Amino acid sequence: MTNLSRRDFLKLARDGFLWLSGALALGGLLRFLDYEPNPAPKTEFDLGPADQYPLGSRTLLTDPPAVLLHTESGFSALSLVCTHLGCTVEQNADGFICPCHGSRFDADGNVTHRPADKPLHSLRVEITPQNTLRLRLD
Amino acid sequence: MRRILTPSSFLTSTLLSAGFLLALLFVWWWNSRAPTPIVLTPTLTGKPEYCLTCHADLPEISASHPVETFGCVTCHGGERLVLDKDLAHSSMRGGANPSDLSVVEASCGGSNCHSGSEADDRHHIQRVTTSIQATYAGAIANIRFTFGAQTDLSPHYGIHAVSDDKTQTGIQSLLAFDPFSESNPNIQKFGEECLTCHINATPREGDAYARQTGCAACHTPLRLPSNSENLGGVSRRDEGGGVHALTTAIPYTQCNTCHNRGNYNLRTMTFDERTDHSTIRLYDYYQPIAQFTKCEYTLDCIDCHTRSEAMGDGDIHADQKSIEYVQCKTCHGTPTELPLTKTLTDPNDLAFRLAFLNPVIDLKLGDTILVTEKGEPLWNIRVLPDGTYEMYGKATRQYFTFRPVMGSGCTQTGEDQSSSYCHECHAVER
Amino acid sequence: MRPSFFHHLHPPAIPAAQARWRHTLGAGGTAVFLMLLLGVTGILEMFYYVPNPEEAALSVQTLTYHVPFGGFIRNLHYWSAQLLLIVSAVHLLRVIFTAAYKYPRRFNYLLGLGLFVLAVMLDFTGYILRWDQGICWPLTTGTNLIKTIPLIGGFLFRLAVGGGDACQTALTRFYTWHIFALTLPVVVLGVWHAFRVRRDGGIATPPARLFLDRTRIPRDELVRREAAAMFIVGILLILLSVFFPAPIAPAMIDKPSLNAETRAPWFFLWVQQMLKWGDPFIFGVLIPLGILTLLALIPYIFPQPADSDIGRWFPKSNRLAQVVVTVIAIFVIILTLINT
Repeated sequence: MTNLSRRDFLKLARDGFLWLSGALALGGLLRFLDYEPNPAPKTEFDLGPADQYPLGSRTLLTDPPAVLLHTESGFSALSLVCTHLGCTVEQNADGFICPCHGSRFDADGNVTHRPADKPLHSLRVEITPQNTLRLRLD
Repeated sequence: MRRILTPSSFLTSTLLSAGFLLALLFVWWWNSRAPTPIVLTPTLTGKPEYCLTCHADLPEISASHPVETFGCVTCHGGERLVLDKDLAHSSMRGGANPSDLSVVEASCGGSNCHSGSEADDRHHIQRVTTSIQATYAGAIANIRFTFGAQTDLSPHYGIHAVSDDKTQTGIQSLLAFDPFSESNPNIQKFGEECLTCHINATPREGDAYARQTGCAACHTPLRLPSNSENLGGVSRRDEGGGVHALTTAIPYTQCNTCHNRGNYNLRTMTFDERTDHSTIRLYDYYQPIAQFTKCEYTLDCIDCHTRSEAMGDGDIHADQKSIEYVQCKTCHGTPTELPLTKTLTDPNDLAFRLAFLNPVIDLKLGDTILVTEKGEPLWNIRVLPDGTYEMYGKATRQYFTFRPVMGSGCTQTGEDQSSSYCHECHAVER
Repeated sequence: MRPSFFHHLHPPAIPAAQARWRHTLGAGGTAVFLMLLLGVTGILEMFYYVPNPEEAALSVQTLTYHVPFGGFIRNLHYWSAQLLLIVSAVHLLRVIFTAAYKYPRRFNYLLGLGLFVLAVMLDFTGYILRWDQGICWPLTTGTNLIKTIPLIGGFLFRLAVGGGDACQTALTRFYTWHIFALTLPVVVLGVWHAFRVRRDGGIATPPARLFLDRTRIPRDELVRREAAAMFIVGILLILLSVFFPAPIAPAMIDKPSLNAETRAPWFFLWVQQMLKWGDPFIFGVLIPLGILTLLALIPYIFPQPADSDIGRWFPKSNRLAQVVVTVIAIFVIILTLINT
């Protein structure tokens, strides 16, 4: 009886060790694969001197894809990354259209046609002390 | 009852293997049909290009851009390794014209090339993008004023937005002209019909217009048809065919491809291309009532209109008057003054560079050449020891000599020097 | 002679019914041949492919246009992969329509389904390895789709891509997935699948007591038939490879230009069409996964086909499975056609 239970205990312990080892190894593997080796994508973009963008101008930027507006109330920018799955939207007569899944947005970035359900993100534009523009994605 | 099938005939497998062998032979033959690639590794990039596989017979574009140094991709873009025509060409900058101003910075720019500093006189791209040829600012302002869209003639719009932070003219920036946001239909029509000939516009559809924008509009002259000896003013893109050349010796025929292409029709707001082919230069361009002197139709446009007049001086201007300043007296002087001159003492003088690019004259250190009032060298005009001048046509290499006005019988006073005064005595009779 | 795996797959004689083309459509065997071909051509491509974002597309161009027979090898790899998806789908349909999935073969049915999923993933990762302007938007939307999965989406995205902007960073991981991390499971599952075919009594036929055709074919004949099928498929692949080159686009420079390809690869066109309808998680993840789950459950929860029907085309006793799979197939085909 004692002999048997000792054997059972050892078996149980062995199985436990193996399962735990497996779990640890799996956890390690998942953590291993979860690392991001690439530097985080840029979130700040220098756009150069502010007077390159005169009042009333509407400039298409390619990096990041956005449109920069200079209105009476100052500078603002609208991201051109589709809020559905991330393609760059294209400008058309009424606003913007996404080439991948056909979402449409008006000129202010509001959704006019699904599948996207969120408006285009507006981005922050700052004027630096040197009077240059800086665009922030965050 | 169990039964074992007898094997199927060997004929099938023999036929199939024969077919397979045939297919492989076919692949081998197909593969051998591919052209032998010709590789070129330009010294500037050090990256192999295979464009010459098909383009081996293309003439060198200019002595200043040897293909061994530049290769093709530096200027044209494209897929340098690809041997399939469509794919290789698909990423070319500006299609057939890498100098189109929408891509010129990538094709021709760079601080050692054509977007260098003003001090080095390498700011060509900045000059040309702010020039009237590219902005069309004056005409746009004129049309908008005429149809009531603005209250004066001051320029606000160019074909594309430009800015100039070191303005000499007071025009700091121009916005992009958008005909569709205009309410007047005439201005819209103007926008649709009348912007295509300017070198910053979207070129018209068709191969014939492919090189009518950007640097190529002037620096890639047409290869004229063989019977063009007497073609006079008009040469058309579609007659010249493909050209692979860059030059600073720009013949008047090249200027005429835009400046003598036809006329605006102000009633319909359209541009009527001329269809006639006049063959004598004297009768071709100059309108019947115009007065002009012999040199105005014997020389080429670039013999008088200097670099900054034609290509811009880096400032934004809005009309021809504010950029054109060369007059008769620039070369001929007045009864009381000789034209301005400069003796070349610096081997790095701009005059030598220009004479090197277009070797029509053997300029030497110590030579005295004419200069304009803004100091631009008239490097093809040299002062002779006897006080007269010799001149070589920049495009034709023709040799001329001429005398100064001073010492002649001319009595015109120093103030009245605009061409109309000179034309009173020196006009050509037709 | 000692028995080998080859002899395990090719016993001295098998029932003639199991090797009849109109019974098997030759789909499974063709799939094996295509996988072998993919392995060989893939290894050959690896001699030239440079898995580095700056050089990948250029090395594909070098392979395609300069290496002798390089373009042909690449086209063979491409067409074998496309054909593999089609042949696998036909194989799946055959198994459903002849009720071959019934116990004891239902575990092997799952192995086969797993192989099919792996083949789709291999095709997608292989397509991305071109790393030219044609792949950025499908890659972006495909991987952003992973992110929409609640809770674990971000983790799965990092697992697949390595984080960051997929168009800039995914190459290293997609290379590893394609060359090794998906291929190795295919080899393991594939061998297992083939082993189980014999272990389960060969290609499904009705049980002996109900099946009176006792004709058998010898090993030589089986091999000869397999060789004939290989030759036919081989000739077809050669012709496809010569006359219809695999797609290629200009090398990627930063982000693709506006006229870059925005359409998904052909086997995902149906998903792209659904994505136009609304919520990406529902249409891009849940519905495809739902379809997969449904297929996996067919041997377990659907009415069991009668033993006498196993190995017969369109038997009455598994009508429901036939209808469901037909509806799914038509749904996928119609969506694909709409989006073409």
